[in-house]
Amino acid sequence: MADLAHDTADHHPPHESTGIDNRKLGMWVFLSSEFLFFGALITNYLLYSNRAGYDGIYPAAIYDIPFTSVSSFVLLMSSLTMVLAHNALSRGDQNGTRTWLFATAALGAVFLGGQVFEFTEFIVEYGMTMQTNPAASAFYLLTGFHGVHVAIGVIMLLSLWGISRRQGELSEKHGMNLELVGLYWHFVDIIWIVIFTVVYLLSYPPT
Amino acid sequence: MSAHEHHEHPTPAQYWKIAVFLAILTAIEVALFYIDEELDLQIFNAIALISLSTLKFIVVVGWFMHLRYERPLLTRFFTAGFVLAVALYLVVLSAMGIVAIRG
Repeated sequence: MADLAHDTADHHPPHESTGIDNRKLGMWVFLSSEFLFFGALITNYLLYSNRAGYDGIYPAAIYDIPFTSVSSFVLLMSSLTMVLAHNALSRGDQNGTRTWLFATAALGAVFLGGQVFEFTEFIVEYGMTMQTNPAASAFYLLTGFHGVHVAIGVIMLLSLWGISRRQGELSEKHGMNLELVGLYWHFVDIIWIVIFTVVYLLSYPPT
Repeated sequence: MSAHEHHEHPTPAQYWKIAVFLAILTAIEVALFYIDEELDLQIFNAIALISLSTLKFIVVVGWFMHLRYERPLLTRFFTAGFVLAVALYLVVLSAMGIVAIRG
């Protein structure tokens, strides 16, 4: 019975009344709910980022725009490598899939490294910590949670890459996993598109 | 691949073109930031940056996430979450009397 269930799940996906794979539908609903999560954090930042009267330095006074622009470019290009991995798998190109998966994880790791560098610079050079003031706290909370999402994405990408290397190819089941991880990864990218504009390019310290 | 995914997805060459387009939009955003510092474009800077950001958002969701090739149900779910979040937090920001953006 278990074998039959396994066989059915692997080779004959059950018919869903929506016509959409339930795992994919679930991922889209999850990502949709994530808008509320990140929306709360962005709103929190906008509420406190330029409110006058706090002690200590404000995040918007010390942003390194050229550096963050490069980080944004890196994350944007990781969306390209992700979609190329998906495309390679759909063409049956297993080597290409592995290469682009690894490239995506590497670009994600570079982005995370940049964030660690930025946080370190803010703390060591400017003394801006989570406790400095509500503006700094809101900044670290928002960008930190985004970084956690990127880190989870990198782990999932490396897991898929490892499975692909060990098995020599990604099966149909893992093909769906790659699609789901891809959706998650692109979502992390679009959240950064919003953060980069609203938090870095449009916010300013109190005058 | 699911049976419904019968639409033609972009080719790798088209994906590269889309990525170049996104990179150009990002470069324009950064340029606008510095132009605003010199010329103080005020509200026009905010409108331009939010428009560019929205365009990048739509391109990634539509082409990289393939939403434009998917069933409308997925678009409805995704759009509902986005619109709900934006509406909710705009109400919160308006209630607090704060829209702390440059412009």
